[in-house]
Amino acid sequence: MHTTKEKRRNYRPLVSNKALQQTMGSYYALTSWHRYWGKFLRRPLAWVTSGAPVELLRAFNIHCAYPEQYAAIYSARKATVDLCEVAEAAGYSQDLCSYARSNIGGVLRPDLAPLGGMPKPDLLVACNNICGTVLKWYEVLARHFNVPLLVLDTPFLTDQLTPQVKDFVLEQLYAMAADLEEITGRRFNEKKLAEQMNLSRKITSLWIETRQYCQASPSPLNAPDLFINMAPIVVLRGSQKGIDFYRKLKDEVKERVELTQGAIENERIRLVWDNIAIWPQLFSFYKMFSEKGACFVTDTYSGGWAVEQAPGTPMESMATTYTEVFLNRSPKFRANQLINLIKEYRADGFVMHSNRSCKPYSLVQEVIRKEVMRETGVPGLMIEADMADPRAYAEEPVRNRVQAFLETFDDLK
Amino acid sequence: MVETFNPTDSKESLKLLIEEASLKGADRLNRYPKYRFFGYFCSYFPEELIIAAGLHPLRLLPDSENSTPVELPAYCCSLARGTLDMEVREKWRDLVGIGFTHTCDTMQCLSGIWAASGQSKTVDIVPPVMLKAPGASRYYHAELHTLLSKLTDLTKQKIEAEAIRNALILCANTRKLAAELDVLRPNLPSPLIFSLLRAGQLMPRSEYTHALVNSFPALKEMAEEPHNKAKVLVSSAVLENDSLFEMIEELGGRVVADDTCTGFRHFSGVTVSGSEDPLLDIVRRYSEMPPCPCKNRSLNERISYLTTLAKQRHAQGAIIIVRKYCEPHAWDAATLSESLRKNGIRTLTLELEGANAGGQERTRLQAFLESLLGYEL
Ligand code: SF4
Ligand code: SF4
Repeated sequence: MHTTKEKRRNYRPLVSNKALQQTMGSYYALTSWHRYWGKFLRRPLAWVTSGAPVELLRAFNIHCAYPEQYAAIYSARKATVDLCEVAEAAGYSQDLCSYARSNIGGVLRPDLAPLGGMPKPDLLVACNNICGTVLKWYEVLARHFNVPLLVLDTPFLTDQLTPQVKDFVLEQLYAMAADLEEITGRRFNEKKLAEQMNLSRKITSLWIETRQYCQASPSPLNAPDLFINMAPIVVLRGSQKGIDFYRKLKDEVKERVELTQGAIENERIRLVWDNIAIWPQLFSFYKMFSEKGACFVTDTYSGGWAVEQAPGTPMESMATTYTEVFLNRSPKFRANQLINLIKEYRADGFVMHSNRSCKPYSLVQEVIRKEVMRETGVPGLMIEADMADPRAYAEEPVRNRVQAFLETFDDLK
Repeated sequence: MVETFNPTDSKESLKLLIEEASLKGADRLNRYPKYRFFGYFCSYFPEELIIAAGLHPLRLLPDSENSTPVELPAYCCSLARGTLDMEVREKWRDLVGIGFTHTCDTMQCLSGIWAASGQSKTVDIVPPVMLKAPGASRYYHAELHTLLSKLTDLTKQKIEAEAIRNALILCANTRKLAAELDVLRPNLPSPLIFSLLRAGQLMPRSEYTHALVNSFPALKEMAEEPHNKAKVLVSSAVLENDSLFEMIEELGGRVVADDTCTGFRHFSGVTVSGSEDPLLDIVRRYSEMPPCPCKNRSLNERISYLTTLAKQRHAQGAIIIVRKYCEPHAWDAATLSESLRKNGIRTLTLELEGANAGGQERTRLQAFLESLLGYEL
């Protein structure tokens, strides 16, 4: 039964949310702990990009913290504008990625940042498989903190992964392992890496399985659920705690399907979401849809972590898996990915968030939109906003566009 | 080639180069009816291979900074928007192909968009970003091999090693002449030098070198004695016209060091030759040239290089241009400016929509240059 409040929200909360909060709470506590104790216990703290090969780092007992993830929290807690302004005053253009700007703002003014900002890193690890921004951003951090910066260069795939790309990435991974030996004073242990890869595989399978339940009608999860519940797959890959959490989530989602309980009431329109969440408007934005019976049954963003590991030795598997991430691939690949999601999830349409902050995600969206519409015959809407900076969000025009888009489904069911 | 476009008179040669720079390739079909051009975007696209394939490299520059092709959102740099719009308007229809180098996220996206929605054939090369990463040279070399076969497919002609060697020589010669031009910089108007360098990215290269050699006597004649202008370094991405350099000159400044994509940076650095496999020479050339913000040779190499360059040229100030929505240059602007200031070089960061400097920029530039001149006194 829904409570009145839930009814107003038209939204069914997950029981496993509590477990999520506990899991993430202990992760943040552990991260802060590293600020004080990590050095003594030879457990360095690394700031890493969301596409960094964390299994390798974990094999060296390195704890990883994610500036992108903290930036999403800053945004959900409405701190982004103040933090961005600090970075802008320091010379970083307002047109740069708002995750990067708010992170730099938090570095310069931790007192303005939720959670007291991020604990200082001992090491920085960036992988350019998601964008070129991370390289420039981490260069700034490396100069500021004066700590080592390790970069994994994963060449953009204009088509398929070629042997020359794979060899290059593999060679860098071995070099990274050698650098990490020096930094941590520990020897590289391939068995330990294999264990990490195993744990990673398990957590990924659970995330994949959970998402697949959303092929059911009504869908047991809506986009905000996916966005909120993706946190552990990003930060806790390779950890048992993450696996335990996703077991709980999966069981709950499975049960919802068995009971034909949808994430929203009266699911009428099934949509696919493309691009990062609009964090500052997480509930109000998606409510515009759920009110009209539109549910986002899957998305490309949190789906970025629902990819099985490539075969091969642990190092080979990492080289391929991390190079083949979708943001490192052509619009053609990305269009196909969206087309498949629409088919598999029997979606009636899709919504693309043209995200000013994230050029690699967004600049190609219009050609993808056209291609997907042509191939699937379903309509696609483009909304311009920003994942974290609310200054780029124009409420009225967005509302009008969403309404007009949803009206096109009026004949459905 | 039409004879009138290959003058031997020094002043005429100079005139030709200036004309070509302002035409930006627009009159190529009239001027060079028998030539086949190949468009490219970035200084990291190896011109040597275009030339070796029997084609003429034409740097694609936008004819407007206000174009809004539907395929791209407004928050994208005007270089990408403008050139794509020209594709839509079929301005590049005669090109044998268009070459994209992976540099920034925008270029990466533009290549995919072009392939999906344009008429022209596109060719990509993805050089390493971390130029000194383990395995980077080997990977770069393999990528050049791939590019070579893509160009061969395009022209249906085998590209011989000898042709690559000859292209290396031609490019080395062009770079040597550009360096001579760079030396004359203190004594010649800045927009003129900038124009002459741009022409070298638009004209058939042998015609260019020929005209440039011919124009040196006229240039030397024009050279003035040491000036008392404010000496500045300019750093920027692509600038498709001389507007900014003209304004600097008019307001009492002189560009003593040019770190722009379409200026001297395009030519700077070494050309190596003599390897048994000429592709290895190309790898070295592009791995060792002074890097743009999209590439990394080491954490501070670019910043230190520019700071040293500014000091060597006795620059009093530096003008850092950020093209609106150009992320790599915007990122480096803050660090570069800090490093220069620490070394006693004042800086001015200007954001421009395209290459045109307008009224607002004029006011800021004027104040900046006056402060440099006043500071000197
Ligand atoms: S949001 Fe986009 S630009 Fe920013 S770090 Fe992520 S992938 Fe890069
Ligand atoms: S480097 Fe800057 S100006 Fe050049 S294409 Fe990229 S974003 Fe545009």
